[in-house]
Amino acid sequence: MIELNNQNSPFIHFHQKISFKFDGIKYFGYKGDTIASALFRNGIKLIGRSFKYHRPRGIYTCGIEEPNALVQIISEYSEPNVRATVKKIYEGMEVESQNRWPSLDFDIGSINNVFSPLFSAGFYYKTFMGPHKSFWKKIYEPVIRKAAGLGKPPKEFKAISSHLHHNVDIVIVGGGLNGLLAAVSLLNTNYDVLLIESDNQLGGILNNSSKINEINGKPSQEWIKETIENIENSKNIKILKNTLVTTYNYINHLIAVEDKYVGAKPTEDKVNSTLHKIRTEHVILSNGHIERFLSFQNNDLPGIMLGASFEKYICRYGVIPSKEPVIFSNNSNSNSLVQTLLELNIKPKAYIDSRSGEQIEGQLFDLIRKNDIPLYTNAQVKAAYGNKKLEKIIVEDSSGGTSEIATDFLCVSGGINPDVHLFTQSKGLLDWDEKDLTYKPSTPFQNTITLGSASGQFNLEEVENEINKKLKIFSPNKIKIKIKSSTANEYQIQKLWEVAAHKSSMWSKSFIDLQNDVTTKDIRQAISEGFDRIEHLKRFTTNSMGTDQGKISSINALGIVSDLLDKKVNEVGTTIYRPPYAPLSFAAIAGRNSYEFYDPERKSPIHQWHIKNGAVFEDVGQWKRPWYFPNSKSESMHDAVQRESKNVRENAGVLDGSTLGKIEIKGKDALNFMNLIYTNSFTKMKPGSARYALMLGEDGMVKDDGIICKISDEHFIATTTTGGAANVLACMEEYAQTEWPNLKVYMNSITEQFATFNISGPKTREIMSKVFSEIDFSNEAFPFMTFQFHEFEKTQIRIMRASFTGEMGYEIYVPASSALKIWERIHEYGKEFGLIPYGTETMHLLRAEKGYIIVGQDTDGSITPIDLGLNWMIGKNKIDFLGKRSLTRSDTVRSDRKQLVGIMPTNKEDQIQEGQHILLQETIETPVPMLGHITSSYHSPTMGHTFGLAVIKDGHSLIGTKAFASTSDQKTIPIDIVKPIFYDEKNERLVS
Amino acid sequence: MLVIDCPYCGPRDQSEFSNGGEAHVKRPDGSQDISDREWGEYVFIRSNPKGLFYERWVHSHGCRKWFNCVRDTSTDEILEIYKLDDPQPPLKKFENKIKTPSGEPDVGSGNFTVKK
Ligand SMILES: [Zn+2]
Repeated sequence: MIELNNQNSPFIHFHQKISFKFDGIKYFGYKGDTIASALFRNGIKLIGRSFKYHRPRGIYTCGIEEPNALVQIISEYSEPNVRATVKKIYEGMEVESQNRWPSLDFDIGSINNVFSPLFSAGFYYKTFMGPHKSFWKKIYEPVIRKAAGLGKPPKEFKAISSHLHHNVDIVIVGGGLNGLLAAVSLLNTNYDVLLIESDNQLGGILNNSSKINEINGKPSQEWIKETIENIENSKNIKILKNTLVTTYNYINHLIAVEDKYVGAKPTEDKVNSTLHKIRTEHVILSNGHIERFLSFQNNDLPGIMLGASFEKYICRYGVIPSKEPVIFSNNSNSNSLVQTLLELNIKPKAYIDSRSGEQIEGQLFDLIRKNDIPLYTNAQVKAAYGNKKLEKIIVEDSSGGTSEIATDFLCVSGGINPDVHLFTQSKGLLDWDEKDLTYKPSTPFQNTITLGSASGQFNLEEVENEINKKLKIFSPNKIKIKIKSSTANEYQIQKLWEVAAHKSSMWSKSFIDLQNDVTTKDIRQAISEGFDRIEHLKRFTTNSMGTDQGKISSINALGIVSDLLDKKVNEVGTTIYRPPYAPLSFAAIAGRNSYEFYDPERKSPIHQWHIKNGAVFEDVGQWKRPWYFPNSKSESMHDAVQRESKNVRENAGVLDGSTLGKIEIKGKDALNFMNLIYTNSFTKMKPGSARYALMLGEDGMVKDDGIICKISDEHFIATTTTGGAANVLACMEEYAQTEWPNLKVYMNSITEQFATFNISGPKTREIMSKVFSEIDFSNEAFPFMTFQFHEFEKTQIRIMRASFTGEMGYEIYVPASSALKIWERIHEYGKEFGLIPYGTETMHLLRAEKGYIIVGQDTDGSITPIDLGLNWMIGKNKIDFLGKRSLTRSDTVRSDRKQLVGIMPTNKEDQIQEGQHILLQETIETPVPMLGHITSSYHSPTMGHTFGLAVIKDGHSLIGTKAFASTSDQKTIPIDIVKPIFYDEKNERLVS
Repeated sequence: MLVIDCPYCGPRDQSEFSNGGEAHVKRPDGSQDISDREWGEYVFIRSNPKGLFYERWVHSHGCRKWFNCVRDTSTDEILEIYKLDDPQPPLKKFENKIKTPSGEPDVGSGNFTVKK
């Protein structure tokens, strides 16, 4: 192993070796290493294949901005697209490269590079939209699908994340020099402050480079240590490390993800990441800057890296990626890299600057001359060459002559940009700075303050001034700071976006977006095809549309476009940076809202009894309802439902209807209110009686149904559908508050306070008389659609004579706490009469035989009561109720509306199914007229064949005629359209 | 996510509230005496301005009270919150506050810098 360690780095624990695997081979790194820094330590440069052309790629940066080095972590969590430049290694970590097949070294997909004319800009648009669409399906898609894509998602969702909410006064994003100073100025003030840093070390540029030697006369690291101590001892500032702010929303709402397992293997029993949801009054953005690259031929070869990143590897991670790098720059930001290298007695192989000798900082010039480093001024790197790694570069000097330099490493700097992603997410406006050649924050849209290089203020002498001025509104502690810098304070840059091609060849490309494999040629092509607006160009070329959002390259693209269009950069505009700042996992977003916690599960008070008795459950809204009760493991659903239905018709059955919504309505004006909410009139209804009622929307369409019990004119209890309960209550509350605030009426949900048991069947009366022996259940004493309150073992229960099956039946309402006792009692006494529990499927079948609708199944929000044939339920004499006026609108009185009918297969052995469309002729001719469809269909054990309910255009007048149901295999089944009632049409059993 | 200052409970996250559409749309009285068109307008037609908008909210995961609000739909800024029986604040009260994030005009959308 070549000695590449910089033992001076205080952040790497050189005595703690950590072993990890990359593509199956075992390597060693040290505690504190990222995957990238550990790979450099082992001399690994090739780390992945590119997205489109499968070109060999290396590590380009040393941070979150990385476009290339995305890797897969192999574990039960199987994390794809992990940035090797951020993720810290842990003992036993297994890392794999992505986008290569069969191996990283020999990748078949790289043939795409040779066929690259096929994949040029607009490739997807042209193949999707062009005349050869079938070509796409047959040839392109299968090939591209296999080759494209990033990492593999985990098969199972295992990571655990939790969410944490914060309400603070000030958030400081970024704990570098300016973030720390901002915290110092707010120390022990009355503000609650959150200081958020994405690294596990505070200090930012102080750790990453040799730019700053001393602060207030102390070595930087000492100053950081003292400052952190002061912050930690303060009462008002909290530090969050390893936390990346990904999102800056409206009203200063920030989202940040904290990695809880930095440098450790995640375990299954602890939270892996925390999603912080932060609400604040003010945001201070001190999140620094990002260096950008430069475009030249083959600027993507492994061994090419940003200059500041190279320096960061040395200072922050204690690894020297190469001992003989060439430096290519157009700005003063690379000065400190030369300094850092020379301090380690490493002599750069050459220093190439596009600026002239006079423009280069004097200090740097002297340093280069003194150390005898080959200097190329007015010069540019024309091209890079090598086989899977950099081997040589071509340099062109001011005279136009070229020379070759053999090298394994090239550090590139195209200038620096303030990291404006969060600022633009907050909707702040940017301005182009013609001197510094970058977009800088100008007008904030929210209470946002930018500091230091994040604000485009690159001069270290201005730091004190800027902080004291911009934080003045907080009346902070005044900052006094003396920064001793090793390099020039002024930032200087010369315009250079792209170096003209050296020689054209099939293989050579000049990239503008490394992650999406966009070349500068693609940009030229887009403009020549008319996509000269920057947002169009972005989508046409996919430039900056990768997961890195072009952090190191998008400004370069704007520069190239501005030159091509001969416009100023701020006339070209900029594309919008969108949240999240960097990808965050679905696990982090989901938090604890997964699996059984995704949505609350609601259970009836006797849920355990159902489990014990083998119920199969069905989800109805949030509720778990018994679907059917198989009598053995082998009984199928069909058999169980047929048996249950037959038993209810012949003996008796009981259904747990506790999930039905129950709303209690009270108040002086309750009667008036109920008359306005439901279609029915409750005025003449006697106390103690019950009524089936419909609720409409103002558009006249059926919204819900239920049974209303009138206790008195000032007291009602309404039931609703299981799924509609919350909406019905909300609707009642809305009208009571907004339209009729003069009515004295109050309503409350009592759904969960009471269990409901629906018992029905010809033997019901005998069973009920045994269960509640003191109650007279005769027709005279307890007529149909009445209810009574009774005391049973010191509990008040309400019994209602009603039925949803067509058999005689009762609904028993009992307090939830007594539910199991009474339910078991019913079964105990019902046994001798053949009573069984039945589930929702049997309930659906039995009600359909009677033609009773299910709101939401037989209706879909476009069906009026008239369409259902329920005209009798409309209180015609009432002046008003919800939706009344709509029932006489020209559209609702059309005769060709879809109306509810019954249907039966003409040949009784035919099976009709829900969802089948109705036709009036036997043959299917396209376009098929949309006449209607089957809404409910079951096999009736009583009739011995299938039957159904359907909504059909002009259906009421089609009753008695023949039609056809179309099957999914394009056949038709002859059907008879009949009245929507199949059982006991005269309701004799109901009232028996 | 907005912060909404419930007049009964104080400021809370938007996730506790439900939006109830345009405010001050009165349900016609004696609804049978009006034309199909008038009724249809009440049921189906709502304004959808870019800019100042009177709208209703309900604190559905809180006190369950309805109230009114003036919101700038182009900036999401909530300019005023008032109870149902408070008078409707006149639009001119807010006129000089319209300011879209990217300085776009009152009508239209998109990145204004690009459109130039
Ligand atoms: Zn409230």
